[in-house]
Amino acid sequence: MSMIEFRQTTKRFGAHTVLHPLDLGIESGEVAVIIGPSGSGKSTMLRCINVLETISDGDLRVDDISVLGASRDVRRIRLEAGMVFQQFNLFPNLTAIQNVMFGPIRARGRSKAEAREIAAALLQKVGLAERMNHYPSQLSGGQQQRVAIARALAVEPKVMLFDEPTSALDPELRQEVLKVMQTLATEGMTMVVVTHEMSFAKKVGSRLLFLDAGHVVHDGNPVDLLSAPPSERFRDFLQHID
Amino acid sequence: MSFDWTAITAALPELLEGLELTILIAIAGLIGGTIVGVLTAIGLNYGNWLVAAPAQAYVAFIRGTPIVVQVMFVYFALPIMLGIRLSSTSAAIITLIVNSGAYTAEIVRGALDSVPVGLREAGLAMGLSFRKVLAYVIAPIAFRRALPAMGNQVVAVVKDTSIFLVIGVGELTRRGQEIMSENFRAVEIWTAVALIYLVVISLLAFSLRVIERRSRLP
Ligand SMILES: Nc1ncnc2c1ncn2[C@@H]1O[C@H](COP(=O)(O)OP(=O)(O)OP(=O)(O)O)[C@@H](O)[C@H]1O
Ligand SMILES: [Mg+2]
Repeated sequence: MSMIEFRQTTKRFGAHTVLHPLDLGIESGEVAVIIGPSGSGKSTMLRCINVLETISDGDLRVDDISVLGASRDVRRIRLEAGMVFQQFNLFPNLTAIQNVMFGPIRARGRSKAEAREIAAALLQKVGLAERMNHYPSQLSGGQQQRVAIARALAVEPKVMLFDEPTSALDPELRQEVLKVMQTLATEGMTMVVVTHEMSFAKKVGSRLLFLDAGHVVHDGNPVDLLSAPPSERFRDFLQHID
Repeated sequence: MSFDWTAITAALPELLEGLELTILIAIAGLIGGTIVGVLTAIGLNYGNWLVAAPAQAYVAFIRGTPIVVQVMFVYFALPIMLGIRLSSTSAAIITLIVNSGAYTAEIVRGALDSVPVGLREAGLAMGLSFRKVLAYVIAPIAFRRALPAMGNQVVAVVKDTSIFLVIGVGELTRRGQEIMSENFRAVEIWTAVALIYLVVISLLAFSLRVIERRSRLP
């Protein structure tokens, strides 16, 4: 059984099919990198996994829990699949450490003391121990995104979903975020990452998926695919993002 | 006729008694109106149409009729329809709750709408139920966004209490009118009444600004 299993998964918005029937398994420990042109359905694919979008057809299972289940099942999936957004989406009224404590307290029912311990350790891990009492508005984009990663990790997920985590950042702030993600990968975290950072895909990815108009066109080893693009379309795409 | 200060000092105890009732009605109206308003806003924003449609009708009805008509309805028509007795003060409070609730609903609805969708999704993505997201993610931010408009609403409610003189509630304005009809000191009495309102409302506005400043995000 795969950690994430797409079974004829289909997503439509009205008459517009955004994800064509998709069969795909992502195994525990994999780092799957998803790339593709704008509008190809990358975000939709991620959002279907933790049920921020409801699939239209087929099934999609996370750790063998179906996204089609009751709201309790949906919440279980979300506890297991942490999400990191392009726009960080930190809670602006909470400090960094309060943001990270939020999940343990509200989603996992931990005590404040426990949550504080978890949060402090995670902020240390993402290199923000000194900034834990800052509000999001007092942090740089790269720092905010690292807090967001810590916040997602604090819920103790089995899978981490990243939707273009560095796209909103100035180029010089991207590395600090990618480095945190790389550390996570080496620790064995299962990850699905939508990104245009090809060096990250090559170095950290165990698998590369090329999405085009709602189809997974290529699926393979990142180094192989990138060194020898198997299609004209893929070659074109790669040229455009450099 | 010269300005007679003694007319004011003589009237003051009675005017302050009226003020007490004004404040009592305003506080009851504000607390009740806030509860009604928040619930209505939640119904409008997140309820299915069975909840949202009546909520919409309620808000439209209140905003589309004068408060004087509303209080007349509550005081004179409602008791007949329901076969109950209603004191004028109760009628005033009920009217104010229902009236302020509708305006508050619009304010709260706007504040809820202004919270970025991404924050809601961040909460949901952590495995929180929507209720918890509403309580712990959306509400704290919406609260801050609602504060300036709620400040105006608080002031409006205090002023609106003077309308209840039409059903004989002995609030500040009514007391002023009664005293004046006895001593004909219109200038003195209405100056005093106006100043009392001004002081109370200025104090309120000031405290609201302090709350707003205190809860502002860095
Ligand atoms: N809520 C929605 N309602 C209607 N259409 C939507 C909605 N969300 C996404 N779409 C459409 O689905 C398609 C795929 O969108 P998606 O956001 O998944 O693309 P993407 O690959 O993530 O693109 P980008 O690189 O720009 O982020 C697009 O055509 C988009 O317009
Ligand atoms: Mg996207």
